[in-house]
Order: sequence, then C-alpha cells, then structure tokens
Amino acid sequence: MLMKKFKLVCLILLIISILAACSAESSNNEKTGDSANNENEIVYASAKDINDMNPHLYSGSMPAQGMVYESLVENTEDGIKPLLAESWEVSEDGKIYTFFLRQDVKFHDGVLFNAEAVKKNIEAVQNNAEKHAWIKLSTKIESVNVVDEFTVELALSETYYPTLAELSMTRPYVFISPKDFKNGETKDGVSGYNGTGPYMLTEHKIDEFATFEANEDYWNGTPEIKKITSKVLPAGETTLLALQKGEVNFVFTDDRGADSLAIEPMNQLVDSGEYQLIRSEPMNTKMIVANSSKQDNPISEIAVREAIWYSIDRETISKDIFNGTESVANTLFSPNVNYANVDLKERGYDVEKAKDILEKDGWKLENGDEVRTKEGKKLVMKLYYDSNSSSQKTQAEFIQASLEEIGLHLEIIGEESTSIANRRSTGDYDLLFNQTWGLAYDPQSTISAFTSEASYLHTTKGIEHADELYKKIEQIMVSTNEETRKSLYADILTIVHEEAVFIPISNGSVTVVAPQNLKGISFKQTQFELPFELMNFK
Amino acid sequence: MRILRNLSRDRLATISLLIIAVTIIAGIFAPLFAPFDPNEINMSLRYASPSWEHLLGNDHLGRCILSRIIYGIRPSVLWVLVVLFISVLAGAILGFLAGYFRGKIDAIIMRICDTMLSFPGYVMALAVIGILGVGLENILIAFALIKWAWFARVIRTSVMQYAELDYVKFSKATGISDFKIIFKHIVPVTFSDIAVISSGSIGSMILQISGFSFLGLGIQAPNPEWGMMLNEAREVMFTRPELMLAPGLAIVIVVSAFNFLSDSLQVALDPKLVISKNKYKENSPYSAVKVREKEVAN
Amino acid sequence: MGSYIVKRILVSVPLLLIISFLTFVLINLSPLDPAEVVLQAQGVPEITEELLEQTKEELGLDKPFILRYFDWFISSLQLDFGESYINGKPVWSLIGPAFLNTLKLTLISSIAIIFMSILLGVTCALKEGQVIDKSIRGFSFVLTAMPSYWLATIMIWYVSVKLDLLPTSGMVSYSSYILPVIVITISYAGIYFRNIRSSMLNNLNEDYVLYGRASGLPEKKITMHILRNSLQVSISIFGMAIPIILGSTVVIENVFAWPGLGSLSVKAILGRDFPIIQAYVLILAAAFVLFNTISDIINAFMNPKLRNDL
Repeated sequence: MLMKKFKLVCLILLIISILAACSAESSNNEKTGDSANNENEIVYASAKDINDMNPHLYSGSMPAQGMVYESLVENTEDGIKPLLAESWEVSEDGKIYTFFLRQDVKFHDGVLFNAEAVKKNIEAVQNNAEKHAWIKLSTKIESVNVVDEFTVELALSETYYPTLAELSMTRPYVFISPKDFKNGETKDGVSGYNGTGPYMLTEHKIDEFATFEANEDYWNGTPEIKKITSKVLPAGETTLLALQKGEVNFVFTDDRGADSLAIEPMNQLVDSGEYQLIRSEPMNTKMIVANSSKQDNPISEIAVREAIWYSIDRETISKDIFNGTESVANTLFSPNVNYANVDLKERGYDVEKAKDILEKDGWKLENGDEVRTKEGKKLVMKLYYDSNSSSQKTQAEFIQASLEEIGLHLEIIGEESTSIANRRSTGDYDLLFNQTWGLAYDPQSTISAFTSEASYLHTTKGIEHADELYKKIEQIMVSTNEETRKSLYADILTIVHEEAVFIPISNGSVTVVAPQNLKGISFKQTQFELPFELMNFK
Repeated sequence: MRILRNLSRDRLATISLLIIAVTIIAGIFAPLFAPFDPNEINMSLRYASPSWEHLLGNDHLGRCILSRIIYGIRPSVLWVLVVLFISVLAGAILGFLAGYFRGKIDAIIMRICDTMLSFPGYVMALAVIGILGVGLENILIAFALIKWAWFARVIRTSVMQYAELDYVKFSKATGISDFKIIFKHIVPVTFSDIAVISSGSIGSMILQISGFSFLGLGIQAPNPEWGMMLNEAREVMFTRPELMLAPGLAIVIVVSAFNFLSDSLQVALDPKLVISKNKYKENSPYSAVKVREKEVAN
Repeated sequence: MGSYIVKRILVSVPLLLIISFLTFVLINLSPLDPAEVVLQAQGVPEITEELLEQTKEELGLDKPFILRYFDWFISSLQLDFGESYINGKPVWSLIGPAFLNTLKLTLISSIAIIFMSILLGVTCALKEGQVIDKSIRGFSFVLTAMPSYWLATIMIWYVSVKLDLLPTSGMVSYSSYILPVIVITISYAGIYFRNIRSSMLNNLNEDYVLYGRASGLPEKKITMHILRNSLQVSISIFGMAIPIILGSTVVIENVFAWPGLGSLSVKAILGRDFPIIQAYVLILAAAFVLFNTISDIINAFMNPKLRNDL
C-alpha cells in the first residue's frame, strides 16, 4: 500500500517535470528579435506594443505607422513639401485641391498607387467620420474625384487654410493598399498592412516585438538600415539595462512624450562611449492646463492661476529636474512656432508677487493656518500627472512644495495617460500636465483644440472672453489672408496668455539614444515619428 | 504570563519584539522621531550622500530619506496592521458563528468563503484596483475583502476542535447560554491560534502591499511609502544603486522580525501544551497543513 | 473513491458558476462607461455623442444586464471572451499565449521549489535543533522577508548587468528562466520547507519509528520510511501552491517583462481593458478551483479519512 502511494507520488512529479521540460523547449524557437548585434539593424525599445497598424484608426503606434504609411504631402521645417503628390494646385476660392501624384509608387503588395487608391482611402476615412472629429478637415471634405490615373481632386465645402497641414499628418489621411480593405472599408479592420513607406511590417508578436524590413522597391531609394525591430519593454530601468547589454540599441522619446528614461543614467551611458545622445530642436511646450470652467474650485479665478504661474521656479526645473535638457518656457508656444512670435508679458518666478496677487484677490492667510481661505472656501486643488513619466511626477512634487509656500494646497495624483485624457475631455480636473502636439500641429491644431470637448474646451470655456476667442478661432480657419491670420493668432494667444489657463513649464524635444556609429539621425516636424530611412551605420 | 515567559527565553523573539515595538512607536509618533519634514523639498541637496544632518542622505528632490523611511512606517506597516485587525475580526466573528453553531449557518458561511478563496489573492486585489482605480485605500479595501474569508475558515476549524471538547459539551448540556460558552471557554483557547495565524500573515501582507505600491498601483506621491521609495530608486539604480538599500532593508528587517516573532509565538503557544497530545494529532495534521499553506495564498 | 471524485467535482461546478457571475458583476460595477473606455483606448482624439451611441450599440451594451451576462457566459465556455478594447484582437489570442508563458514559469518554479523544500526540510528535520537547522531556518526567514521585486532588481543589476551572464528581461531563451525562477523559489521555498520539516518531525515521533528503531532497523531505512510519509504532506501542499504561484507572479513578471498573465493584466488594468480583466479573473479563478479539486482528490486518495469530509 505504502509503496503504491509512493509510486503515485513519483509518477506525478515525473509528469510535472516532463510537462515543464516540454514547455521550456517550445519556448526556445521564439528566439527572434532579441539581439541587436546585427550591424545593419535597429532594435528600439518601446513601452507599448505597436498595436493595430490600421492607419485610419488611432490605436497603432505612431512611429511604426510613420515607417509604413505615407501621406500626400509632408510638413517640413520649410513648410509643406511634396511626398506622394509631386505637386498640387489650389483653386482661387480655396475649395478645390488638385494633386498630381508620383507615378512610380507601389504599395508593399505590388499594387500601383494611383488616383483610384487615393480616392478609396480618403473615402474610407470619411465613412468613419465620427472618429475623426478632431481633424476639422474631415468635416469639410465633400468629395474626392479621380481626374485621370495620377491626378486626384479634393473638393471642400468651404475654404480651410490648414488643409495641407492636416493632410500631412501621420493619420488618418495616409494610404493603405485597397487590397487590404475589408468590404471596401477600413473602419472594421484591415486584412494586411501594406503601405507605400520605406519599411514593411514582416512579423508581429503581440507584446513582445514587431519587425519591419526595408522596402527594396521604395520610390525614394532603398533605405540603408535593413531591419528595424520594435521591442516591447516596460518603461524605465529595464530599457536602460537592455541598452547597456545591447539587447536594444536605440531609444527615443515615445509617442506621448513621456520621458520614461531618467536623464542621469542616460548621460552616463553616453559617457561610456558606445552610445550617442541626440536631441531635436524644441518641439513642443510642456505645460500645466488649468480648468477655468470648474466654477466651484478656486482654479476658475484668474488671480489664482496667475499666482500659480508666478510661483513655479522654471529655472530650477529646467536645471535640476531636466539636467538642462529642456529649456524654460514662458509662453504657450515658443516664439519659433509659426504665428507665435507675439509680444507677451513674461511672468517669471516671483513668490512675493504670487502672494500679493492672492492677497489682493481676497485669499487671506488666517493666523496659524497653512492654507489660504476666502469666504470660508479653502485654496485647495488637484493636479493630475502621467504615472508613467518620472519627470512629471518629480515636477508635480516640486510644484506642490512651491505652492505650499504661497498657501495653496495641491494634491497630486498619478494616473495612466488614457485616464488623464478622459479627465481632460470630461472636465473632471483642476490642473493637469499636458503638452502641445509639436511643430507640425502647432499652432493650428492645438488652437482649434481649444474648442474641442476632447481637448481644451473645459480649459478655455470659463474665461471671460470665451465667445470672442471661439469666434476668432473659427475665423482663422477659413481665412485666406496671411495678414488677417497673423493678427487673429496674436489676439488669441494674447487672450489665453492673459487668462493664464495654459501655464507653460518647459520646451520639450525628442531625444534619441543611438549607437555611436549610427549616422544621419534627423527629426521630423512632429515628436511622434523619426525618419529611419535616412539613417545608416558608418 | 506563560507566553511571555516562553518568549523571553527566546533571544531572537525578544529582539524581534523590540524591533516591532520600536517600529510601531516610531510610526505613530513619526513627527517626533523624524528629523525633517518628509515632504520638504530642497533641490540643492538632490541625491546628496549621507551626512550628519541627513543620516541616510537625500532623494531626487533633496528630501531627507531617513524622515521618509520613518513616515513610511505608517502606510507600509501601521495600515497593514489595521487591515489585518479588521479582517481577523470579521473572520473571527464569522468563524465562531460557523464553527460553533454548525448547520446551515456554517454551510452558508463556508460556501461564501469558498467562493472568496477561489480567487487567488493577487487576482482579487488586481480586480478591485481595476474597478476602483489606483490608490492605497483601494488596495487596503481589497486586502480586507480577500483576507477575512481565509481567517474565517481557519478560525472555524480551530473553534470546531474546541467545541467538541468534553467541558464545552458539558457546559452546553447544563444550559449555559451559547454566547457565554463562546466567550468563557472558546475565545480564550482559540485566541492563541488566532494570534499565530494572524502574526504569520503580517509579513506576507506587508510584502504584497508594498509590491503594489512598487508597481504604481498603490499610494500616491508625495506620501512616503517603502515600496514607492524603491520604485523611485529603481529609476536611478544604474547610477545610484545605494538608494535601493534603505527602503529595501527597512522592509526586510520589519518583515523578518514579524516572521521570527510568529515562529516563536507558535512554539510558545504550541497547542500541544494546551491540550493533550493525542487530541491534537487526531484533528490537526490536515488542518495544520491548510493553515500553513494558505498563508501564502492571500 | 470514485464517488468521492464525482462529489468533489460536482461541488466545484456551482462554485465556478458563482465565480463567473461575480466576475461579470464586479467588472460591471465600474463607474466608467465601457463605450467611452473603448474609444479612449482606441486613441480616438475626439469623442462625440453620436459616436458613443454607435459604439454602445456595436458592443451590445444597450441590452439588459442579465442577457449580457448569459451571452458572455455562453461564449466564454467556448473560450470566446470577446475582443480587447485596446487593439481589437480576440481576448483569447492574447490571454492564451500569456497563460501558457505564466504556466511554464509557474511549473518550472514549482519544481525548483519542491526540490529545494525537500532538500532543506529533510536536512533540517534530521538535524533538528542543531546549528545547521537553526541557521537554515533563520536564513530562510530573512530570504522570505525580502520583497521579491527588490531581490529581482538587485539580481538583474548584479547578474545580468555587472557580470553580464544572463538576459535582463523578456522570454528569449532557456537562460531567461533562470533569474525569475530563482527569485520565485527564494520567495516560496522558505515557506514550504518548514511544512516538510514539521511533518518529518511529526513522523519522527510516530510509534512506527520507535518500533523500527527498537527492532534494530538501520537508520537509513527508517529515514526513507519517514520521507515517504512526509511526501504525502508535500504533495498536498504543492497541489495548493501551484495555483497560488500562478496568481502571484504579477510583480515578478512586471520586473522581468515576462510576457505572461501578470504583465498582461496590469497593463489591462491601467488601460481599463475590461474584456481582458474579465477573462483574466475568470481563467485564474477557474484554474484555482481546478487545481484545488485535483489536490483534494489526491489528498483523499492518500488519506481515506478525508473522503468523508464533504
């Protein structure tokens, strides 16, 4: 009897170990995309999976989509330049755009890129217009007409000056092979990811890695880097370790601009000699957004917002928290942004002035109290930050301490970026961290977002001249005169500056850590993509 | 008295008890013990090394690490103890009801327990956080929700064991009220069992709750908590690995102390000394296994 | 025995039903509007009222609660847990491989734990009260008191980076298993070896040992005897331990970027991907019940007294 039981026990142990051994074996053939030793390969770390690469929806990773898909025109430092369209004409009333397409472009599956493909793609986007409400062009397109094989015509319902800028964006107006459509549409998913871009998606293992290989037939010459792998690694030190060991060899500021890499270890890595660190020109402004429409909270008062503005020590943030990698920002857009070179009053770091403003506005510090009060209401509010960004957390803690000094109690709460986006669109916040969208989108997209519920409507709704502001924004978008636009932008920027609803902190840029011998690293006008096709190893 | 005497003979247990007492007192009276305000920012002391003024150095915002460790006792240890107390209390009440009265009440309570226990602890905690959102309160709620069922089950087993003893049966027969019997005869004897199992699970609870804070699901900044301090230190572990030391060691020391104490308690309160050896053996090999093994579960 | 097995299985069926219902209720308690969560998760920049209505209809959220539960339950039985809110992929295609990865890690760790526990437990029991017993026990307390994520981070830092011996994270080859398995073993072996030790000690005081010694059996034979009896206890312990480890690799998986259930679930929670959270809770609870049932049956097989304990 005893022996029998003993045998049973042994048998069970044996079965378990065999099971385990088998499973261990099967895991061994998954050995792909794990080493970055190959000379002509870039393996970059990404905090998230590339997700659904459907270019007409929004869940995919932008850097990945940027490699695979292309738009008609490109937004560059010197304005809009040709990409898939060689040239274009705009009718006098600004309602008809005619594009002359390149004739040597093929999708990755061999299908010819022509006017018909453009028509199908744009119509697929328009058929799902609800999801594209943020891009105002989607509400203006009336029809897409094929003129001849390589000429296509876009008819708008009214003049809309940012048309070309919006057509140049990473999504949704980019092109996927019509063969990949499902039932003639893309809104319910696509059957393949064949774009026209320099790289094609060849392998994707969810939450592990995705491999892109060079498009040998790329119309603008075969890219030199033959293979790019996006490897999913949790943010922070895991990435650094992987870099140091060579499991990845490339890191850049991710989609949402959350700097998940601490600056100091990054510098140390560069000092070791194997890596170089390259930083783009300032791309965006990192700021705190104040909810002016939250009537029951002190944040709805202009004096409180100004006091917060004055009590933030941007110099220290830039110098100590960012180790000098980000410069101080004093206005919503830095002066190098189009139309943003407007003379605005600078509000530097001045604690006494902040106290003064609060005092004058009736926020008094009773004896012994730490928090100011006004008519029985306490000067208390909440600031939300992205829990994945270590620099935001540090800044939040730093600002919290500074505000304590002027008698304002700030609660800080870290949340996932989706939930912060949710707060922004429902208006359920007092203050939150945000950033402008980058040179390609500033100022027009950011400013039109002032009127959009999902973005900054709650931020701007509560200010005194809100109606005037919205009217001016509407005018800008349909205006055809450059001078009018300039003066309208100046007015708008002055209004939001006076109201202090966007409290700027620093100017962010895209940071790349790459092997020492990687050359040709450059940047685009957005912080969301990188031109991998221009890079090469020397 | 006997318990204390037994314990004091064990040097390790004495030391552990001392460490725990000091920790709890330091946590309760943190403002008296901490040399600085734990949230006071001083950027000129960013990542400063230990000095006479700041014995453990300063963190990424120049805050005093020693002060943060001391204030961190509150969420890392004291709140865990509170949650433990609540769940033991709830578990004890239900366990007594089930174990003493048996029958339908027992069946119902045990089925509920089974259901609760069929969610592994971590999974349940994650589900609760998924619904309520991140935050220390939510994690504490999750743990209280999970833990009581396990305590109820163990306490029930222990109560059943004693409820069948002759003198309890005798008391019942003489018509003494049930509650009197419970309070007079059963609570005192089961108390030692309760002490052992609850002290045994403090350690794992401290570890798990700090683990959630480490993952960023727990306490929110700037409140100091050991798990979160480790998470902050992890960001610079490359350049300043020494920052991982203080909060890590704090956890190891406190949890070890609780583990040693629980072990000594078990010896000091050994039921073999309370009831006859045979009686113990007959009922317990199975339940003893359950007690031990489930400790990890939740 | 057969009737016990049938009874034991019958008990777990209603339990599974209750669990599935609770899981569904739990997730539906969330104050967030799932339609909005879906759209947020898909990264749609601007959400309009019409879009919300349309999405609700697509998700079938306009149906009554109970109906939705039954729909979900029936399809869950066929492993169809719906589609992820975030990337639109079928939930099973995400959870299946992740579950397998976690299972691999769990089983290999369990074997390491069993091996270490028996080794240490037997050593300690045979040398009860001696220095070696005391020091192993003391040391194990300190080891189990270490936060696993702390230990893991230090190991990565030292073994993978300083010594450059093993991969830092992910699941790329055999060697990827080494560090996570070591960390899990350290966290759990310290607990389980005590069970083995105490059951060995109980056996040492049994009458058959005294009898054997008295009748002059060689010590070796007696030890084998004790070991065999103690193994019973071990088996029942590990039957319970496997599902526990399965559910608690969350933290370790996150530190090592292990593509398993733990990483998946934390990501799902932070991204509010409800279908995945739902499936995760249900699958683990079901696995838990399954393993418990099996271990009870094994227990009953070895200890007939327990067969009446239902």
